[in-house]
Amino acid sequence: MTERAAFESPGRRFRRQLGSNPPAVLGGVMLALFYLAALLAPFLAPYAQDDIDRQRFYHPPHPLHLFDAAGRFRALHVHGTRLADPSTFDYVEDARVVPVRWFVHGARYRWLGLVPSDRHLYGVDAPDRIYLAGADPSGRDMVSRLLFGSQVSLTVGVVGIAISFTLGLLLGGLSGYAGGWVDAVIMRLTELLLTIPGLYLIIALRSVFPAELPSAQVYLAIVAILALIGWAGLARVIRGMVLAIRRSDYVIAAEALGMGRWRVIVRHILPNTLSFVIVAATLAVPGYILGEVFLSFLGVGVQEPSASWGNMLNQARSLGALRSCPWLLFVPGTAIFLTVMAFNLLGDGLRDALDPRSAQGGGA
Amino acid sequence: MATYLARRLLQTLPLLLGVSAVTFLLLHLAPGDFLATMAENPQISQGTLDAMRHRFGLDQPWWVQYGLYLRNVFLRFDFGESFSRHQPVFVVLREGVLNTLLLAAAAAVVTWGLAIPLGVLAAARQHRWTDRVLSVVGFVGLSVPEVLSGLLLLLLAARTGWFPIGGMHGLDYEQLPPWGRVADVLRHLALPALVVGTVPLAARMRQMRASLLDVLRLDYVTTARAKGLDERQVVIGHALRNALNPLITLFGFTLGSLLSGSLVAEVIFSWPGLGRITMDAIRSQDLYLVMGSVLMASVVLVIGNLVADVLLAVADPRIRHD
Amino acid sequence: MRTLTGTMAVLGLTLALCGCGRGPAAGTAAWHDDHALPADTLTLPTAEFGTHGGRFVFGTTAGPRTFNVLMASEQSSSDIDQRLFAGLADFDNETQQNYPVLAKSWETSPDGLTWTWHLRRGARFSDGHPITSADVLFMFQLVYDGMLHPSLQDLLMAGGKPFEVSAPDSYTVVTKLAAPHAVVVAAIGALRIMPKHILEPIYRRGGFAAAYGVGTAPESLVTSGPFVLKQYVPGEKVVLGRNPWWIGVDARGQRLPYLDELVYTIVPDQNTAAIKFQAGELDAIDNVKPEDYHTYVEGAGRGGYTLHDLGPSLTASFMWFNLNRTKDAKPGHPAGEPVVGPVEYRWFSNRAFRRAVSKAIDRDALIRGPFYGQGFKNWSAPTLGSRQWGALGVTGYDYDPAGAKALLDSLGWKDTNGDGIREDDRGQSLRFTIKTNADNATRIQMLALIKDDLARAGIACTPVPVDFNTLTTNMRQDLQYDAILAGLGSAVPPDPAMYANFVTSHGGTHYWNVKQDHPATPAEAELDRLYREVAGTSDMTRRLPAWKRIVELINDECFVIWLPTQKIMLPVRNRFGNVHPTAVPHRVLWNIDRVFVKPSTARS
Repeated sequence: MTERAAFESPGRRFRRQLGSNPPAVLGGVMLALFYLAALLAPFLAPYAQDDIDRQRFYHPPHPLHLFDAAGRFRALHVHGTRLADPSTFDYVEDARVVPVRWFVHGARYRWLGLVPSDRHLYGVDAPDRIYLAGADPSGRDMVSRLLFGSQVSLTVGVVGIAISFTLGLLLGGLSGYAGGWVDAVIMRLTELLLTIPGLYLIIALRSVFPAELPSAQVYLAIVAILALIGWAGLARVIRGMVLAIRRSDYVIAAEALGMGRWRVIVRHILPNTLSFVIVAATLAVPGYILGEVFLSFLGVGVQEPSASWGNMLNQARSLGALRSCPWLLFVPGTAIFLTVMAFNLLGDGLRDALDPRSAQGGGA
Repeated sequence: MATYLARRLLQTLPLLLGVSAVTFLLLHLAPGDFLATMAENPQISQGTLDAMRHRFGLDQPWWVQYGLYLRNVFLRFDFGESFSRHQPVFVVLREGVLNTLLLAAAAAVVTWGLAIPLGVLAAARQHRWTDRVLSVVGFVGLSVPEVLSGLLLLLLAARTGWFPIGGMHGLDYEQLPPWGRVADVLRHLALPALVVGTVPLAARMRQMRASLLDVLRLDYVTTARAKGLDERQVVIGHALRNALNPLITLFGFTLGSLLSGSLVAEVIFSWPGLGRITMDAIRSQDLYLVMGSVLMASVVLVIGNLVADVLLAVADPRIRHD
Repeated sequence: MRTLTGTMAVLGLTLALCGCGRGPAAGTAAWHDDHALPADTLTLPTAEFGTHGGRFVFGTTAGPRTFNVLMASEQSSSDIDQRLFAGLADFDNETQQNYPVLAKSWETSPDGLTWTWHLRRGARFSDGHPITSADVLFMFQLVYDGMLHPSLQDLLMAGGKPFEVSAPDSYTVVTKLAAPHAVVVAAIGALRIMPKHILEPIYRRGGFAAAYGVGTAPESLVTSGPFVLKQYVPGEKVVLGRNPWWIGVDARGQRLPYLDELVYTIVPDQNTAAIKFQAGELDAIDNVKPEDYHTYVEGAGRGGYTLHDLGPSLTASFMWFNLNRTKDAKPGHPAGEPVVGPVEYRWFSNRAFRRAVSKAIDRDALIRGPFYGQGFKNWSAPTLGSRQWGALGVTGYDYDPAGAKALLDSLGWKDTNGDGIREDDRGQSLRFTIKTNADNATRIQMLALIKDDLARAGIACTPVPVDFNTLTTNMRQDLQYDAILAGLGSAVPPDPAMYANFVTSHGGTHYWNVKQDHPATPAEAELDRLYREVAGTSDMTRRLPAWKRIVELINDECFVIWLPTQKIMLPVRNRFGNVHPTAVPHRVLWNIDRVFVKPSTARS
């Protein structure tokens, strides 16, 4: 097996390694689906994220039925409900059949901010409502909020990584390649940044932004700032790697041919750190997602009525909600868990696939 | 080694200065101040508020306040007064840092206490179902948000009554004999330590497994096996000690992040550590307490890194520092 | 759920490591009264006669900031400090009447301007030092100190002047007022007595504000009330013990308080408090979130507690529009311009618009959802939780969606471009933001519904939750907002005389237009005039009609748009006797000196 690996191109070996790691493939597929769902959120969600139904506060999830109360087969449907006890929000199903409709007209939206539409994948005829994952305390559909919330929760990590890794790569590369006072200045700067406790910082920063900005934007801005600070750790690792690569023959050759400093860094040195960077980036995304969850838990993250997974989870903290409305906890909790898990599985698989040493270790 | 240490210590001074300047500036960008929280009381007039603002000296420009602050810290080792607690900042923080370190140490015990045996088990049963199950459990532990696991554990504690709901001491702590006090703190420590400790568990377990696998491939192990020793003796008697070496270095590296790692658990379990103190201080805009705690967190971080370097130097004689 | 089982396995492990039982309960030995009762005891009425001993554990979400009762300015401090220090009189939360404490009695001159107070003989501080008129005079000196400027100073003024205080002998104090004052007894009772023999030297050195801070050693904190400080662990708990010299007794002559210990456990938030209460670690908590009511009702039998229904909260909820004008000139902008833009100011200053907003809000839905059905429509502050002032029968502009639309139509503000949002007669869309504090889940939920309500009337509003600190800065200092949803806490007593800053046009909590030099509108000039009537006399036949007129005026003008107020439910364990929680602040604590552990249920 090691013999065959030795004759393989790195790209093929990577594909084979990743392919032989089902959990990593699973993680990748899950992430692809999640991001696709976030992209299509306005279409997949039956309602807008702030669509309140004042007759259905704390409505439990609707079970889907194929047979009506008399046992006859019907198309996919849910049953009508009525509020049995307003003091406890106990709802009971009645025998009324409410068929699920496909590609229904509903709330207007602009897909990607461009294409106007009012089609939704599924829905039921008004005045009934369909809550596949239950309703929140304001009668808003949890499925819709989860989907719209994913647009925030899934992008924070990507934005954060994009910024911190660009900076980390360039400054780390420059530091390692240039050496001398440039190196000294950049390294002192990273030390300073690494010494600032990030979570404390973000809470302090949160109150600086003008409140009129939509809170999702405020949050993205804060992520950007955190990323501006978060590049330091990466820059130090990259610097170390660059120091080693710099002494390699092909870099010395490129320099002898009169190639410019930035070109050497971008064309020859950074690509060699690529496999490390991809793995580190994949494994760093969950940190940002969990950061959002924690900040919303403290009440300083994305603010209502915008949905995010963190503030949905925060809604489930009260004793009453935990006892009688478990879906408030488990819907966002499961989403966060699965996403973080998928990133970890994928990142782990990528590491095994990209790191020749671990690949051999795996075959021994 | 001594000159190396001295040099490193000197390097930290400008670092701490920079951190303090950044923090001070940020806090002054934030709108409002702690007087604002009292403004809700209908009995307080603006005259009262203005008088208090003047008395607490918050009406100077930030650079003047910062200059005063630095002078006090460096010349008198005085970190100022906490507005909200009416106590010297140093007193408030000393307690908080110790509590946080205790939690971090307990979390480290949980992490390493589980990671080493489980990692060894996984390596010994490589590719068998035990290995796979452990890997899955590790991933799950890694992927559950601390917020969620903390909440679930709190609920569990409430249902069963096995553990107290947050805090650090029972009500009767002062009346307990010494061993009772230790047991009381341990009971309060268990859940937050579990939450903090399980996060890095998967990574440590995997490192232990990889390290042991590396050693198991070495010649002397093969020799030991060839001599007919049984696998248990080979792994525990011969391989384990060498496999632990790289982990000691790794342990050093985690020292620096001790203080920041437990913030979430401190908030959920109301553990009276540095994180909670800082959160409260930021909310009430208790300026000097925030400054002090950020500085304190930085100091611990710097010391942690220093210790890590020293550990590395001791563990790996190839690295020379002077 | 795999996560939970995984952690449970580990839990078992940790449990084995530190398996240990609960600690012993305090106060096993019977308490013995070491001192003879004073000449003038304070006999407090009790529904039941108690026995000494036991501990009451109260959950609070904020610790004390100071034990200096004069300088305390937030509920979390005064909840504790007012158990430590007593005044000449106090407010009985249940009867909502004042009763004498350190004073044995008082009388007033026919013109209501001279008040004579007779102190109890034999009253002592917790160190055994007698409490005399010198201590009272010292407290008046402190409260009128311009540098200290305690918040109580404003209340102890009549006609803008301090009271004139003198002491003919050690047990008599005379206060002379420059003008009539509506709540003299409550105001003087709020001045708690602190030991002159300890604090005067500190005051002379200029250290009074910091004296009796939370860093004070418990044994050196000398108190005048029923309790003394035993221990304070920051962020964890405050423990009070009994003051051996306290003058209070029950009708059988047993010295109060009954409890050995009163413990305030500091918890980070209401959710943790609720879990701690359910786990049996707390005997009472200060507040229950509306969505938790049902859980408490269900658990009451098993948990051995009663969920007391205290009726409407005294904290009023409302929203208002920003009608403030700038105080200082800026380049290109003279002082006195509206803080909001001219377009918004045209809307907000229009009474018909404000009435339309009030009519658009479905208060029943607010009660049904955010308040979980446990709320009341309220149209004034003090709210209908105040026995004397809350039930005036005034109502404002309640839900009437058709009426709201008709009002806006009559202004000519109609949706001309078909986007569902009305434009004013100059073509500007009716859009504004409403801010509230992000840490209050109920308010956020209310805003979500209000946004929906206003959208139906053709008004677009954006809820903006902000930090509490930011919100208070916005509403009091920089005035940067369109509209705010907030609340106004209650004072003790819940009397309109405590609401001067809210009602009068120069007040700092006259939120919609704070600290005006001259009343901006005729209605506000009328408010000022009526308020002088309310605060400048203690004659109820004049105060009540004037106050009713004020409430009507505020509702008619819609200066604030009143929102429902929450029903207060408060759980207390059944092991305790004499528990009479009230909606007035210090809810369960106001008579904690009379609360006792029932013998049959006492823990061994």
